Amino acid sequence: MHELSMADAIVKTAVDVAEKNDAQKITEITIEIGGLALLNPEQLKFMIEVLSENTLLEGAEVNVEEIPIEIKCESCNYEGPTGSEELDHYMPIVKCPECENVSIKIIKGRECNVKNIKIEKEDEDA
Amino acid sequence: MHKIAEVEIQHDIMAANKKLAKRNQRIFDKADVFTVDVLGAIGSGKTSLIENLIEKMDYKIGVIAGDVISRFDAGRFEKYNVPVVGLNTGKECHLDAHLVKHALGDLPLDDIEILFIENVGNLICPVDFDLGAHLRMVVISVSEGDDTVEKHPLIFKDADIVVINKVDIAKAVGADENKMFNDVKELNPDAVVIKSSLKTGEGLREIMDNIQKFME
Ligand SMILES: Nc1nc2c(ncn2[C@@H]2O[C@H](COP(=O)(O)OP(=O)(O)O)[C@@H](O)[C@H]2O)c(=O)[nH]1
Ligand SMILES: [Mg+2]
Ligand SMILES: [Zn+2]
Repeated sequence: MHELSMADAIVKTAVDVAEKNDAQKITEITIEIGGLALLNPEQLKFMIEVLSENTLLEGAEVNVEEIPIEIKCESCNYEGPTGSEELDHYMPIVKCPECENVSIKIIKGRECNVKNIKIEKEDEDA
Repeated sequence: MHKIAEVEIQHDIMAANKKLAKRNQRIFDKADVFTVDVLGAIGSGKTSLIENLIEKMDYKIGVIAGDVISRFDAGRFEKYNVPVVGLNTGKECHLDAHLVKHALGDLPLDDIEILFIENVGNLICPVDFDLGAHLRMVVISVSEGDDTVEKHPLIFKDADIVVINKVDIAKAVGADENKMFNDVKELNPDAVVIKSSLKTGEGLREIMDNIQKFME
């Protein structure tokens, strides 16, 4: 539900970096979202497109990549994917896939990163 | 001629909030204010619980009222003669560290021992936004249904204290408060989970004792 403010921060970050690199436009942007981030990727994408109007990001292709959930078990020290294919967000963060202990910490899957952008700039050699 | 270049950014959008949250916590620590972020669904009893704690706890208390109907809740707290700031979040679905920082300017921090921050009534959006508080207390109630914990696991995973409120009406609404208790314990074995009723006073003592334990 806070996709709008996140999208706003993403657009600002991308435009800022593009300006610093003397870009004439951004052609592509890649965002990474953790499987547990409380954001809807489609909504986020739409908001980015709307907020990009009249900026260097206008018309850019928006890619959203998912960062898989990883946990660390405090009982057996297992570290890695949860192994659960469940569609809901509940089971993956409840039990260790190795020893079934419930004392697990989430170490990956809550991110929201701007990974990279592709920009078009004047070729200095031309 | 145009050339295409790829620019690595690797910028964490949440980083700015985390940094501000840390800064808030330093402000709290410097003024010796213990801060509690109170989260939960609309109507679960957040305001009622804070009102009870203001009355019964032997500390100088201050409140930031950030619920969507902030003016309304702020008005309820003002009756207790404690410092209150109502935060108008507009259409925002959560408080963030920046908003809280603004409210701090309007509070006599040196005169406050415990600061309660009533977050926006929502079990999803506030989860990812650290405010810099020392303690996260989630208040849910049986009237939201006893599958609430399964439906919104993350908020419980991050909580220090979870209050399952309105147990006085559990039977009437057909909810099993023990199932809710066990669901939280399974998700977060470290959390202190307390069943309460602000109508009968059940659990209130235990809530106060545990907040005090976290302060030590
Ligand atoms: N039956 C019952 N009602 C309660 C209890 N706690 C709060 N309420 C009522 O629930 C309603 C919402 O409470 P409020 O504190 O405003 O919830 P908030 O939206 O989380 O701040 C009010 O009418 C309260 O009187 C409780 O333990 N039992
Ligand atoms: Mg309230
Ligand atoms: Zn394990």
